[in-house]
Amino acid sequence: MNQIKFRKFLSPILILLIWQTIAINGIVPTWFLPVPTEVMKTLFGMIMSGEVPHHTLISLGRAFSGYLLAAVVGILLGLLIAWSTIIEDFFDPLIELIRPLSTFALIPIFFLWFGIGNTSKILIIFKSCFFPIIINTIAGIKGVDAKLIMAAQSLGANGFQLWTRVLLPSAMPMIITGLRISTAIAMMALVGVEMLSSDSGLGFLVIDAQRTFDTERVFAGIGVLSIIGFSLDKLARYIQSKALSWHSETSLGGGM
Amino acid sequence: MIDATNISKVFNGRKDRKETLAISNLTMSVKRNEFVSIVGPSGCGKSTFLLMLAGLEKPTSGNLTIEGAPILGPGVQRSIVFQEYLLFPWRTVQGNIEFGPRLRKVSKDDCLADTRDFIELMGLTGFEHCYPHELSGGMQQRVAIARALANKPEVLLMDEPFGALDALTRESMQMELQKIWLQTQCTVLFVTHSISEAIFLSDRVVVMSKRPAIVKEELKIALDRPRQRDMHMTRQFREYEAYLKNIVWEEVN
Repeated sequence: MNQIKFRKFLSPILILLIWQTIAINGIVPTWFLPVPTEVMKTLFGMIMSGEVPHHTLISLGRAFSGYLLAAVVGILLGLLIAWSTIIEDFFDPLIELIRPLSTFALIPIFFLWFGIGNTSKILIIFKSCFFPIIINTIAGIKGVDAKLIMAAQSLGANGFQLWTRVLLPSAMPMIITGLRISTAIAMMALVGVEMLSSDSGLGFLVIDAQRTFDTERVFAGIGVLSIIGFSLDKLARYIQSKALSWHSETSLGGGM
Repeated sequence: MIDATNISKVFNGRKDRKETLAISNLTMSVKRNEFVSIVGPSGCGKSTFLLMLAGLEKPTSGNLTIEGAPILGPGVQRSIVFQEYLLFPWRTVQGNIEFGPRLRKVSKDDCLADTRDFIELMGLTGFEHCYPHELSGGMQQRVAIARALANKPEVLLMDEPFGALDALTRESMQMELQKIWLQTQCTVLFVTHSISEAIFLSDRVVVMSKRPAIVKEELKIALDRPRQRDMHMTRQFREYEAYLKNIVWEEVN
């Protein structure tokens, strides 16, 4: 077990060592590839000055708002669509038209309609997260074995009980997979939109440092984003395994 | 107790919208506490008939009554057990068994007391907190039977319940089903592909014809109760078996 854990650290450490060697010997200029230890020093300074915590909180606030909105609307609308074919026929064309559209194609419109403040940023994150959640919810409910429903009906379950005690728990692995995929997507959309137009947040921090050729700060910002993304996925996996402890296959879906 | 009169069932094909007559003018009845098996060629409509009795399918025409009252939908006095177990994978053994009573707002404590007998009867003691995927097929089917019994049904409908089990497990499950039936005294309707299983368990074996299904033959099984495993070897058993096999064989060809 310990050996396996150690092996998993091997490749990142190796890359850092090679990188350090190349950078420190001046093979490439430091504005092109900064020295890792210097990046860490810079990052430490940025954390202590409160700069990183400040931007991180703003970014997480936006990502969380958009994600939560997508989760609530996506799951509720998904359940309604799975419940009624009339509702499905109404919403399905809209979903199929908007879903394949790149989120970034919508950014100009969103800026135009909602301004360049938080609203448009949150809505762009919402758009990115919404579809994996709603599609997984619909597929989860529709994929429930018809005979399992029959078994529940014969045991006396009425329409409402069928939803709360059979359909929802059955669909839960799929719904949670959708929610997990969307955590990574939320972070991607967040950085993109913050780079395009913002004066705060981690995406802004990175792009602002790049504009002044402060490559150490660029890497420091990327490092923070990478740690946040990694931690969120770990957290999502943990919640998934706790919520689905009954499920024999909790290794659902690849990370995005 | 159960009376089916002139039951017909027409299925509409999803693609070609062609009508298929699955069951045609089927008439049969089952007495209280009787153990009746239904055998017949694959796809003859045995399972469909069972689903109708469970209230999960509606006959296209004909009358289906239990104690004189028409069957209009599922009801807790009729429990069904399927070949595929169909347990709720997110519920433990205990959670599965008390599913029915919990729907009717029976308190958790009462459920625990009520289901204990069935857990013991099905040999599931010690497995109450396991999840279905941790159990073998035979154990899962025990849970499914206990779950059906927990509703205290008057009629137990069984759709090839042992069809997915290996031969040895199957035999021991037959012994246990007989024990349960003798203890609970419910009426059992048992659909199976196995003629020897039907003879071994039943008071009466009903042979259905190929599509469109009618009752082709009914045979009373006059073997002593409780039936023992070695009864398979007796001359009487073999005669029943040969007789029924012939009739089913005619239907297959």
